[in-house]
Amino acid sequence: MAVPLTAYLIVGALLFGIGVYAVIAQRSAVMILMGIEVLLNAIGLNLIAFWRFVNPEDYSAQIFTILIVTIGAVEMGIGLGIMMLLYRNRGTVQVDQYDSLKG
Amino acid sequence: MSFAEVAEWFAFAILAVISVAGALGMATTMSMFRSGIFLMASFIGVAGLFVLLSADLLGLLQVMMYIGGMLVMILFMVLFSHDPGGSMMAEMDMSLIERFFSLGLSSPPDEGMEHGDGMDMGGSGGHEGMEHEGMEHGDGMDMGGSGGHEGMDMGGMDMSMTTPVKRWAAALSLVLGGGLVALLLLRPAWPTTDATPSPESARMIGELLMSKYMMAFESAGLLILIGIFGAVLVARPGAYPDRDARDAYVTADLPPAPIEEGRPPSADAPVPPEALEEVTVNEAHRDKAGGPPSLNGPAGHAASQSAEGDN
Repeated sequence: MAVPLTAYLIVGALLFGIGVYAVIAQRSAVMILMGIEVLLNAIGLNLIAFWRFVNPEDYSAQIFTILIVTIGAVEMGIGLGIMMLLYRNRGTVQVDQYDSLKG
Repeated sequence: MSFAEVAEWFAFAILAVISVAGALGMATTMSMFRSGIFLMASFIGVAGLFVLLSADLLGLLQVMMYIGGMLVMILFMVLFSHDPGGSMMAEMDMSLIERFFSLGLSSPPDEGMEHGDGMDMGGSGGHEGMEHEGMEHGDGMDMGGSGGHEGMDMGGMDMSMTTPVKRWAAALSLVLGGGLVALLLLRPAWPTTDATPSPESARMIGELLMSKYMMAFESAGLLILIGIFGAVLVARPGAYPDRDARDAYVTADLPPAPIEEGRPPSADAPVPPEALEEVTVNEAHRDKAGGPPSLNGPAGHAASQSAEGDN
């Protein structure tokens, strides 16, 4: 392995920072879900990098990553369903216009 | 360095740049559809990194699940929602044939102004903050966004292809990412091992899923089932088939509009345009529907309410 572990972890950290930026700064709910996907990708990349470099005989990390992907898919489906309902009722997907409860 | 090491570094550099640049493009491009395509590039980069880390099954799973499944869902939602091209599409100077081929993506300028999504995103036009931010400026300039936006006040709207940077969010994420990278660089090395995973790792994962992690595996199946039920239940056609029906329902709930002085309260009297701009969407809808408000009155109200109780 020529590429050290830290290089992969730095890529994961950069992806995480970009995902946090997308989640915070975007106003469209679809873009926020995309940011969450980037965050999950960063987490999976970190898990797999640690698995490969620290304990490659135990495949539990890959199973954790599979579960993360599964939960991400379910979350995406339900999130898009909620968003579709909100769009049908409010006519927008911009999250800062969902201000019915604002005093 | 042997050839294999150089090749590995080369592959790592390409895949890392693809994944990070794709994520950056996702976060900064204004068009949501382009954001989805950038996100696909990022997913492909991460899948390649998985393969490089000899987790080939996960690389395959990444491509199949994220790109084949989630990204299709995202792009469907982008096309379903209003204004998928970002607010730049509304005031692009398109000919009639272009407008035909971008049907559903763009709206005529007056309609775009009425909805007002993303129109007020001026103000923070600063473009510093993200380090690679300028690299998406080159793409998509063939769309020629010359603002042929006659008669409208553009305000502080910038016509660039990127979303304006939110300063606090950019600062927070820069601090977070920089802090993580600094921690990674400052930390002494992890106890890495030189062992290599078995070439038939897919079989090992399958056996683990069926023995040690069987509970998690079956629970994930149950979770997916419940998720499908929940998504269908949430997104099914509810009490209001579309927004107009809901507006009619809300209009029926509103108190009647005050009758202005000196004008007979007839429904089919012509409304001057400056008054039409002042009324809200609901009242505009009622004006469009015409007829006395009692037509939307108790009968329609009761029907909508019973339908809502069914929801």
